[in-house]
Formats: sequence, structure tokens, C-alpha cells
Amino acid sequence: MTSYDYYSIAYGALATVSLSLISIVLGVPLGLGLALVRWSRLPVFNQLTIAYVSIVRTCPTVTLALLIFYALPVVGISMEPVSAGILTLTLSTAAFNTEIWRNALVNFPQDQYDAALSFGMNRNLRFRRIILPHISRTSLPALVSEMTLQVKSTPAVAIIGIVEITRAAIRVGARTYEPLPPFIFALVLYSLIVLAFVKTQRAVERRFAPPGDH
Amino acid sequence: MTDDQTTMSQLAVQQRPVILEVSGLSKSFGANPVLRDISLKIHKAETVCLLGPSGSGKSTLLRCMNWLEQPDGGTVFLAGQPLGARPGGGLRMRDKELAAMRTRIGMVFQHFALWPHMSVLQNVMEAPVHVLKQTKDEARATAVSLLQRVGLAGKMDSFPARLSGGQKQRVAIARALAMKPEVILFDEPTSSLDPELVGEVLAVMQDLVREGMTMVVVTHEMGFARDVASRVVFMDGGHIVESGPPDQFFEAPQTERARQFLMRYAARNN
Ligand SMILES: Nc1ncnc2c1ncn2[C@@H]1O[C@H](COP(=O)(O)OP(=O)(O)O)[C@@H](O)[C@H]1O
Ligand SMILES: [Mg+2]
Repeated sequence: MTSYDYYSIAYGALATVSLSLISIVLGVPLGLGLALVRWSRLPVFNQLTIAYVSIVRTCPTVTLALLIFYALPVVGISMEPVSAGILTLTLSTAAFNTEIWRNALVNFPQDQYDAALSFGMNRNLRFRRIILPHISRTSLPALVSEMTLQVKSTPAVAIIGIVEITRAAIRVGARTYEPLPPFIFALVLYSLIVLAFVKTQRAVERRFAPPGDH
Repeated sequence: MTDDQTTMSQLAVQQRPVILEVSGLSKSFGANPVLRDISLKIHKAETVCLLGPSGSGKSTLLRCMNWLEQPDGGTVFLAGQPLGARPGGGLRMRDKELAAMRTRIGMVFQHFALWPHMSVLQNVMEAPVHVLKQTKDEARATAVSLLQRVGLAGKMDSFPARLSGGQKQRVAIARALAMKPEVILFDEPTSSLDPELVGEVLAVMQDLVREGMTMVVVTHEMGFARDVASRVVFMDGGHIVESGPPDQFFEAPQTERARQFLMRYAARNN
């Protein structure tokens, strides 16, 4: 493997990291919004959300990518591979995040909510000051675990032409007839990325956990 | 206390303004009627203890008083003003109006219900700052003096998870007081405490009674009810079965059900 080969796989890592980050940054709040739709049982939107979550959760990410890339143009929406890739990964992670947030919402302690009501807090205050800080903490481990799965599902968008780590490694292997070194390097890169997420989680937890909570 | 004195003090209470009134209140959960035609007046500076066996509807009644539970029928009045329903009943008040009335009614919960992500001081300041729109300095000054009053000045920056149950409940009382409520509702404030921590919470409540706070207290602490209640209301099966001064209730209960309740309680504690 030449240094250019390493460079090309590392360049793929850039795609992996940015696709992951963008879809996470979009998918975490989208999941929260949809969880709130589920939680408040907004008519129609609730049913739509249920359908969306169950479809995305059963559909392999590769299939979802193909569906978005090839099926949307049929209804007149065509997308660049990168936009389609981001949309795929965002829709995918948001579905899982919806379930994570919803679980935190339904497990929110009723008496803390009642206390907020009894102090005359309006809906906005109850959510912003009481519920959100609490469910952010309780959801964090599951959200980060979903983020790491998200990193690992980025190769799915290679099928619509995006060159990320795995695709780059396949290319190098095909050219050098030595597939093992590029894949070992790919593995190292994935590990580093996932490690970074987990480290960040730890730091965030330390920063926000009330002392004596654990 | 002679009968004469009892009558006198009762008369004095009756002449004070009514802070909280429930009138003809009924509430069912599904097919299960929990409150049946409850009427009750709480006068200023009164301490009313709600007693009764578990499941008799005490918590539900308390929660109807600030509309944490929405009654099916009847009306709650706060200082003469209907709460929850619009005058004449039926239609629900706007959330904003209901919230404004709720700020005038404090509530203390069995399991404290402190907000765990806020320090003790933040718990006490939260609603005064964000609901009553006090300045932070004003709210902090009030919170600090209330925390001193409940003996927790040294715990201001602690988080709830670091406190004992008795300390948590005293914070919860300070949090309620910070709103300067016209009445405070207590739902079994000492029931989830280890026995050795009950005293410190009751002592704080006793101080409030002396200072003339208006309080409705659901409790199983018979000693507290006997010593500090101005009136005992005994509930069973969703009814108010008996209501009167504590001396009368504990020495000479008027109804068979109250007698049995007190006997069971005495048996359990011997
Ligand atoms: N949210 C609820 N949903 C259904 N049933 C309830 C609910 N809250 C209370 N109940 C029922 O109402 C009855 C009275 O409960 P409660 O007011 O808690 O009694 P107490 O506080 O005197 O023990 C009980 O039978 C209880 O099971
Ligand atoms: Mg109860």
C-alpha cells in the first residue's frame, strides 16, 4: 500500500465522519420532534410517525438509500448522491432516535411533572426547564450507541456512489490485489471514530451529571 | 380544653375568610367512583388534616384542589374564585389562567418531586424566577432565607440525590414557600421517610402552622394531627365520613368507621 492509498482511505474517512455528523445533528432533534408527536398523540401525525418509524426500522439502510436515490426522481425529486446519502442516513437514525426519546418521555417521573404543573409552569417551561434536561441525560447513552451504529451503517450509501472508508478500502484492495491491509486500516479508522463518540459521551455525562447521581 | 373554649376557637376559625373551598366535588377513574359529592371549606390559617384508610380518595381530593386531577363534577374555589372550570362549571379554564391560580397553591409531594438536575438553591428559585418573573437576586435572597429557615443553608449547592429524605422534603417545603402561596397542600409528606427523619419534617410543618400558614395535610401521623390540626377530616370510600376538632375525633369519634380506623391504627402501632 502506498501513502496515496492510505491517503485515499483516510479521505474516505472524511466522508464517513461528515455524513455521520450531519445525519446525527439533523437526526437527533428530528427524533425528538417525532417523539413529541408520539407523546402528545397528535392525531394523524402520530399515525404517520408510527408508520415512518416501523418502515425505516425494518428497511435495510442500503435499500433505503436505493429507494431514495432511484424512487424519488420518479415523483419528480432528484438528488445528488451526497444529498440522497444524507437524507437516507438522517431518516434512518431519526427513526431509532424517535424510539429512544419516546422511551425517555414515557419514563419521565410523573411527580416531577406534576410539581412543574403545580408551580404554574406553562408547556414551554415544563419542557425546556424540567423535561428536556432530564431526558437528555437519560437518553444520552442510547443516543450515543445509536450514533456508533450510524457510523457503522455509512457504507450503505456507497451503493449510490459515495466514496467513504469501506468503498475507498475496496478500491485500494482491488487495485493492489492485497485486500487485507486496506481493510485493517479501515478498521482502525472506524475504531477511532467510534472511540471519539464514546469519549465525547463520557465527557458530556461528566459535565452534566449532578454530583452524587451515580 | 373545655367545651366552651372549643366552641370559641371554632367560631374564630369560622369567621376567617375561606381560602379554599370544594363544593359538591365528584371524581371517577373509569367505572371506579373515587370522590362522591365532597364539600369542604378551608379557612385562613387553618391546618386541616385529611385522614382515612389507603384508597379512600385523599390524594385524589388533594390533587383535585389544584386541578392536577380534573374533577368530573363540582367546583373548587380559591379565595372565592372558581379554579379550573369557568364560573358556572363545565368549560375548562384557559391553561394560562389555571397556571396563574396554581401559583397561589403550594404542593408538597410524598416522594418530594424535586427536580434532580437542579441544585437545592435552583429548585427553590426556579418557579419564582421563571413563573413569577422575579429577578434572580430577589429570588435568591428569598430562597436563601427559606433554606435557612428549614435548616438547610449549608446544602444550597448540593443536588437532591445527595440529600437524605428528610432534607429533600424540607427543600420541597422551602420550594413551595418561595411562591408565597395562600395555601399549601401536603400529600403524605412523611410517608416515604425513614422513621428517624419524620420528626425534622414535622417540626418544619409545625413552624408553618404557628406562623399562620393555611395547610391541608394528608397524613398518617396521628400525633401530628392531634397536636396541630385545627380540624380533622376523616374520609372513607370517597366520602367525608366525619369532620371535627382533633380532640373530638381522637377521643370520641362519632362514627363506627372512624372508631375502627383509629383502632386499627392503634393496633398497628403497639
Ligand atoms: N390515576 C388513577 N387512575 C386510576 N385510578 C386511580 C388513579 N389515582 C387513584 N386511583 C384510584 O382511586 C382510589 C383512591 O386513590 P387515592 O386518592 O390515591 O387514595 P388515598 O390517597 O386515600 O390512598 C384508589 O382506588 C386508586 O386505585
Ligand atoms: Mg394517597
